Amino acid sequence: MRLVIRQALLLSFKDTRLFFKDRFAMGFALLFPILFIVAFSLALGDLGPEDEQLRMAVATEEESGFSREVIDLLTIADATGVDEWDPKDAGLALHEGRIPGYLLFPVGFTQRIFNGEGAEIWVITADGDPETEAVLGGLARSIGGRIGTLSLAVRGVTELEGLGSLDLVKLGQLGAAPPSIVFTTEQVGEVEPFNASNFTLPGYLTMFLFFAAALGAEAIARERQTQTLERLLSNGVRRSAIVAGKMLASLYRGLLQLAFLWALGIFAFSIDFGVSPVAVIAISVFMAVASSAFGVMLASLVRTVKSASSAAVLASLTLAPLGGCWWPLFITPDWMQALGRLTPHGWANDAFNKLMLFGAEGQDVLVHMAALLLFAAVFLTVAVARFRTVSAN
Amino acid sequence: MAHMEAFLAATGLTKSFDSVQVVDSVSFTVRSQEIFGLLGPNGAGKTTTIRMLSTVLDPDDGDVNIGGHSVAKESDAVRRLIGVCPQELALYPELSATDNLVFFGRMAGLSGSQAKESAADVLERVGLTDRAKDAVRKYSGGMKRRVNIAIALMSRPQMLFLDEPTVGIDPQSRNHIFDTVLALRDEGMTVLYTTHYMEEADRLCDRIGIMDEGHIIALGTPAELKAQVGDADTTTLEEVFLSLTGRSLRD
Repeated sequence: MRLVIRQALLLSFKDTRLFFKDRFAMGFALLFPILFIVAFSLALGDLGPEDEQLRMAVATEEESGFSREVIDLLTIADATGVDEWDPKDAGLALHEGRIPGYLLFPVGFTQRIFNGEGAEIWVITADGDPETEAVLGGLARSIGGRIGTLSLAVRGVTELEGLGSLDLVKLGQLGAAPPSIVFTTEQVGEVEPFNASNFTLPGYLTMFLFFAAALGAEAIARERQTQTLERLLSNGVRRSAIVAGKMLASLYRGLLQLAFLWALGIFAFSIDFGVSPVAVIAISVFMAVASSAFGVMLASLVRTVKSASSAAVLASLTLAPLGGCWWPLFITPDWMQALGRLTPHGWANDAFNKLMLFGAEGQDVLVHMAALLLFAAVFLTVAVARFRTVSAN
Repeated sequence: MAHMEAFLAATGLTKSFDSVQVVDSVSFTVRSQEIFGLLGPNGAGKTTTIRMLSTVLDPDDGDVNIGGHSVAKESDAVRRLIGVCPQELALYPELSATDNLVFFGRMAGLSGSQAKESAADVLERVGLTDRAKDAVRKYSGGMKRRVNIAIALMSRPQMLFLDEPTVGIDPQSRNHIFDTVLALRDEGMTVLYTTHYMEEADRLCDRIGIMDEGHIIALGTPAELKAQVGDADTTTLEEVFLSLTGRSLRD
């Protein structure tokens, strides 16, 4: 047993070394998936961590008064998305295209309200920008509605007190409270912007983990053809050590892929592992084990290098869509979801979706882990039973 | 020179693939410290025979005794006595010659330091010390063949199997390999050598067995084989070979 372990480890280290010397294999395993992840994240409308928040610019030509108070209230918290600008700067920024538009309180805005005249709030946007006009217009109408109500209340008070016309000084002497506008923000549930990478990254990670492992069958078939496996056997290396060594090497490559792509996901795509990151890691490691076992099994079933590569491509490109790597299985018909259950990809992706999109906990995907280990056991059993070291020629 | 006692004795070796009899009741001996040539046309069963002798394939029937150990019953003991140089370049082109040798040496059971020491020795023997650290893919065909042989020598075997070791290389490299094989024999190693080049067999081999269609059809020294078909002094081994195996194509 000790001899088998030693031989398997030596063989797996050698294969790993060869992997690092093979730029194409490295690129295929590590860089190629990135292209897919970026492309599909873009296609699904989100590459970054969050949707970009809409910012609105407001400016006033008044030194004090209602407009000043409104702006202070709107800018008190960053969450409102309102920034105060100097009127001249806002005009320049619009001209240079740095802002799409702004809201302007003109000189005399407050006085016109107190005089009971129609006060105006100007919505200034670039030509042909109805979206900005609509957004800023909505804000202006909201402010106008509030001020209108307030103005009516103030006028009622002044008439009751017999003040006649609206006089700010007299109003202050009456102890009337300064006009106030209250904005209330309500948060409705934990609604966060959908990060498409939470689906695309695990999907393509699963696909390329399996693809790279399946293509490993080609290297094993080549070794059989060049008689290196035969040479190892005549050197006293156990057949079981060769199978274990080949599978271990494939597993190391898979773990490297996992580490690289998950790290990329976290730092570049801000993916969220959900409430049970350990379960996400466990599912991906079990998928790597199943994929490695599949690669060795494939090598044991094919006769030539060409048939190994053809079978690897065929298996990978058939099982990936069936197993929900290209689109979520939960949007597919029942019969397709049932087919997905026949693939390790289906179990892995279902678990990733549950954990990373729907907030499932580790215990919710225990059956998925068991299924992946069962796939690995079946693949490995076939590999051990059928593994040949001698070429047919 | 060769001793009379047998180092290898094959008895009734038989092997079939998909009901095709590839090797049929083959029996022969290889004496200690001799170079034994196994010749035959394509498909004669030479490579299958070597695979059975070197423990890679199990025979359907018969057994082989090497250095006092049965291949069927004591394959581990046999593997410690033999080195095998397959017909293909059974090495890793992306690794250097040293790395290839150390890897195969360690897989054969040598420690890291033993493997490095042995690698340096065999590289010197095959004349590749200067290029030891270069990736094998950068080598010429002849140099690759020499590395292929060097790997078989890593565990200092008592018997060496060389399956067509000079295919596709230039005369200089071939001569270098001849000198290496003769030196190994002179140092006490027993060698089983297969080739399609008759002049090569004539020059190197102490005795020759000619195989055809899974049988040994002739066995003896080059001079004895020549004498079977004509004048030993003027007949070539190729004439013997064609006389025994016929002139029809065997591809």
